[in-house]
Amino acid sequence: MTVAEVSEHLSLEVLAEGDLNAPVRSGYCSDLLSDVLAHAGGGDVWITHQRHMNVVAVAKLREVAAVVIVHGASPNEQVVERARSEGVSLLMSDENAFQVAGKLYQLLGG
Amino acid sequence: MTHLRADLHIHTVLSPCADLRMSPRRVVDEARRAGLALIAIADHNAAANGLYVRSIAQGNPAVLLGMEIQSQEEVEVLALFDDERACLTLEEELYRDLPDVDCDPDLFGDQVVVDEQDNIVRTVRKLLLSPVPWGLADVVERVAELGGWSLPAHVDRIHGGLLGVLGLLPEGNWPEVAELSPWTTVEEAVERWPALGGLPLLRASDAHFPHEIGRAWSELRVTAPTVAELRAAAQGTGDRSMRPGPPCKEGR
Repeated sequence: MTVAEVSEHLSLEVLAEGDLNAPVRSGYCSDLLSDVLAHAGGGDVWITHQRHMNVVAVAKLREVAAVVIVHGASPNEQVVERARSEGVSLLMSDENAFQVAGKLYQLLGG
Repeated sequence: MTHLRADLHIHTVLSPCADLRMSPRRVVDEARRAGLALIAIADHNAAANGLYVRSIAQGNPAVLLGMEIQSQEEVEVLALFDDERACLTLEEELYRDLPDVDCDPDLFGDQVVVDEQDNIVRTVRKLLLSPVPWGLADVVERVAELGGWSLPAHVDRIHGGLLGVLGLLPEGNWPEVAELSPWTTVEEAVERWPALGGLPLLRASDAHFPHEIGRAWSELRVTAPTVAELRAAAQGTGDRSMRPGPPCKEGR
């Protein structure tokens, strides 16, 4: 399963395109960036409410496959620009974290 | 140049989570007991009781107005002001934008403005423990525009601390200084969060109960108890200095 396929199945809006062909290994839900730095894995889809600039840095450091910002919380243009320039896939969903995580879990076969 | 002991993070009864005995009068009494020459009042997203504390204290101790602002990211920021009008302007702007959720006193505690004689002036309706829908950078910018000074509160704490929430220091020139939790040694903080190495640190009590006032403090060398002097002390300008007092020994 690639980021593009996840995006399609979950009807996500692509704000910044990184490597959409990157394989998705699993998912990680957290709004504490220190927790993500410590525990998220490479290839995870990171589901969060956070939309601070540091999200891009943390996504890059942990080599997550993509970031999904939930509940329609739009990041500002500088954050989107930075994600583009850093090659981080930044996606958005109008659904809440529970719905996005539930669908992703099902999609990845539990 | 004077040497003074400062506790720059004290709550009052205006914070729902603070003890009801934390009236402005009691805060001043306890600050004097603790030998503090400078205090700052920092209720959650609210500032009104600071004026009464200042009026009672009459310079002993000196009182800065302030707030502990919770940003959209849920980072807690200590904002300090000399000027009452500037601080109240910000308080009003934050209150306007706070989520429209009532404070249920049975669940969260009372949020009351209390005067010099321990009379309740008013009760604040909206829950002050909610984050304001302002990004951290916007909070920092607005505080500066109004002539205040902001720094991350209890920077080493996972919940509400800058590094716990955002993982890394944000880009740019902020913060100039960070507040440590009462109990964390400087060495522990820097080991856990290497980004703090080289950043000036201060310590404060984050008191919610009377006996907690002055349990942790900072030592300052300044010419006056003002925000401008605090900034200069953090930068070590002239003979000024700022250093955190020892970690608090009492339980968390």
